[in-house]
Formats: sequence, C-alpha cells, structure tokens
Amino acid sequence: MISLHGTVAVGEFSRHFSLEVGSEIVGVFGANGIGKTSLLRTIAGLCTLNDGELSVNGVLVDAPAKDMYVLPELRNIGMVFQDHSLFPFMTALENAAFPLTLRGMKRSAARMLANEMMEQFGVAHVAEQLAPTLSGGQSQRVAIVRALVGAPQAVLLDEPLSAIDDESRESVRNQIREHLDGLGVSAIVVSHDRADLDHLCTRIENYTR
Amino acid sequence: MNNVSSRTPRFVRIGALIGVVFLALPIVGLLKRVAWSTLWGQLTDVATRDALRISLYASVCATLLALVLGLPLAWCLARMQFTGRRFVRALVLLPMVLPPVVGGVALLGAYGKTSGLLGGVLESLFGIQLTYSLSGVIIAETFVALPFLVLALEGGLRSIDTKYEEAAAVMGAKDLTRFMRVTLPLLKPSLVAGLMLAWARALGEFGATITFAGNIQGRTQTAPLAVYTMLESNPEGAYALSFLLVAICVGVLVGLRDRWIGGASQ
Repeated sequence: MISLHGTVAVGEFSRHFSLEVGSEIVGVFGANGIGKTSLLRTIAGLCTLNDGELSVNGVLVDAPAKDMYVLPELRNIGMVFQDHSLFPFMTALENAAFPLTLRGMKRSAARMLANEMMEQFGVAHVAEQLAPTLSGGQSQRVAIVRALVGAPQAVLLDEPLSAIDDESRESVRNQIREHLDGLGVSAIVVSHDRADLDHLCTRIENYTR
Repeated sequence: MNNVSSRTPRFVRIGALIGVVFLALPIVGLLKRVAWSTLWGQLTDVATRDALRISLYASVCATLLALVLGLPLAWCLARMQFTGRRFVRALVLLPMVLPPVVGGVALLGAYGKTSGLLGGVLESLFGIQLTYSLSGVIIAETFVALPFLVLALEGGLRSIDTKYEEAAAVMGAKDLTRFMRVTLPLLKPSLVAGLMLAWARALGEFGATITFAGNIQGRTQTAPLAVYTMLESNPEGAYALSFLLVAICVGVLVGLRDRWIGGASQ
C-alpha cells in the first residue's frame, strides 16, 4: 500500500499529488515535465516531500510536519530507473543478484535465483557480460529483474519498456505483470506510452500540466 | 594537413626541444655517473639497505595513513557544502606549495618534544616521541603526500555519477555497504592513481623529514637522505641509490600511463 498526499518539489518544479495504491499496478500517465519521475523518486526516498505525508505499507516514511523521513535503504522498494542505472563494473548477473546479496543471501544462491529470473526475461545469455556492453533492451530487462528479484514491498517502474523492441514488448509486459501479481504488492508504472500502461496496469492516473 | 592549428612554428619546436633536453640531461648525467660494475654491491651496502628499508616501510605507512585521513577529507570536499570549505581546501593544498623544510619546522611546532603543541602531551600520556624517530619520518611523509591523494580522490568523487549510489540505496544498501560495493569500485582508478602519487611523493620526501625526524642511519635516514649524505663520503653509492630511485619513479609513471601519459597523448 502506497499512500501519498503532499507536494513533490524538485528545484523549480512543484506539484501536489494525491495517490492511493493498494495491491495493484497503477499507471501514471502524462507528458514530459509533469513530475512523474520526481513522484517515483520521492516515494523511493531519493527526494523529500515539501509538505504532506507519504506512507508505504502503513508505515509513515515522509512527513515534513512531523519531522519524519525514512532513508531509501530502509523502505524496501524495488525500482527500475529511467536510465536503468546498472552498475558499470558488474556483469548483468551480478547486477541482478545485487539486491539478494544485500539481504544476506549467499552469493551462489543469489546468482542462481537471479539467473532464473533473467531466463524468464530472456537475458540469461548475457549474464556474464559487463553492464556497459549490454544493448538498451538487455540493460532494461536486467534492471527490471534487479527491481523485482528481491521481492520488495513496493515496486516503482520508470519507463520500464522504453528500450524494449516491439517484437518482445508483449512478452516483457506479461512477465512484469506476472511477477507483480505474484508479489501482490503496490506498483506504480510511469510512462508516456498509453498503450504500455493499458496493457500493464489495473488503473491509470492521468496527469496534465 | 593545411589546418592552421596543425602547423607548428619552428621556434615552438626549438623551444620544446630545449625543454626536453633540459629535463633529460640530468637523468643522462646521473646514468653516466653510475658505476654499473659495482652497482649491486653499492645497493646491498648496509647503509643503503637500511635507507631503502626505512624508505619503503615509511612511505607505505605514510600512504596508508594519508588514505585514512585523505578519504574522509576528499569526501567532505567533494560532496559537502559547509562553512570554511574553501579554507579547508587551501589547508589541504598547503603542503604541496610549502617549502618542505618549512613543513618540517611546522611539524616541530606541532609535535616537537619540548616546544610542540601536542608533542609534550603525546610524550607524557602515551610515551610517544615523534621527533627523531621512524614515526616522525612517517608523519613528515604523510604531511607532504596527503594533498596528492586528496586531490586525486576529490576529483574522482566529483566525477562519479551519484545515480549508482542512489540505485544501491533504494535496493537496501546502507552507508558502509554502499561505499564498499558501489562507490569504491567506481573510485578505483582515482584511488590507485592517488595512492601511487602519494607513495612516490612520500618516497622522495627530503626537507620535512630531515628537519622533523633527523638523518640518523638505520633509524630515520631514508633513501633521499642517504643519497645526500653519501654524496660526500661515497659518491658511487649516492649515484647507485639515485639510479634506483629514478627507476622506481619511472615505474610509477609507467603504472599511471593509462591515466595521464596515455590521456595526454590522445
């Protein structure tokens, strides 16, 4: 459950959001510059609310009036970043297994689990390639695996299909949907592609300038 | 070929050639004076071995100490906004531009046994005497080497895109884990370069060491101090040791070639 009622402000940008997300996949649709990425970064804890309150799974994580702010590393959120942000010094598999090793899982078990999910997303064949050598689509799939593999309590996906080619788009959408349904958590998908959101989400929030 | 910027005037070429000769001549002169037939014997002489041992030990310790002090300093300078930041940065750079002997005098003022600000306290409370001791050599070398490491690390930290650390944080990596598993690998090229530069500077340190720690054979006499001492008593030994130091410095430059020398030629 994600509950956000407050103002997201980054630099000159400022916007009030009122969003309730249960165990569902909510799409956030709108043109560039309406604050979609800032919204996700605020929920993840990379930005702070200007005012209002944000709670994740019933825990208040950001409330300026109450001097409350929970660090990103304590929120247990999985996130696909718009530019993927794969660690360049790691292989695809090491990237995918990273959240699992953070949770104390043994390296071999983490690699096995991550590899299984990479197979489902069609990127197991590039497991040993360094992140910078991956194509845009491969990199994005690895980023999706990395966001989901640790079974987080909430998932944020920022343009998760932007680099996926048309041929495999349907398959990746289905895989994401299947995994999110399996996790049964709150998920927010940001995109400027309405078709992606229609296929992926249970509900869509439309934001205009 | 006809590009104006690609044409180099003759006077520039001549000036550059004179510059190269100016830099190369002392090295050639040094190599010419080395007695190659007795080189090994000179380098294995007791005084030379002692000096090399002290130099290597002290320079490695100084580099590690510079790392312990320099990494937090570089981090704060690169990533924090705080009052007095410019002052701290100037303070960090000061040993680079300060005459090393003056650095040694300043160290005496801080850690001198009788007149130093902290020297007396260290002696009475912990029985530590820094002046005229191996610890003093390490302190003096750290003092001059620290800026090189801080500059390299600060530049490295500034160039790291924080998006990787943000991604790690969202995945659950806490401060130390994030630093060890994400920041440090990204910082590695700058860290290696900074460590090598700091070590080379510590190895070649002379003025601050002789002023603060003295020139006692087998105790505080480092290789550069031994070269200076031997120039009068044993010139052959001085040239042999100098040759070895030049070889080590060339090794450092070769080690850094990808970062600076290669970069400059591209």
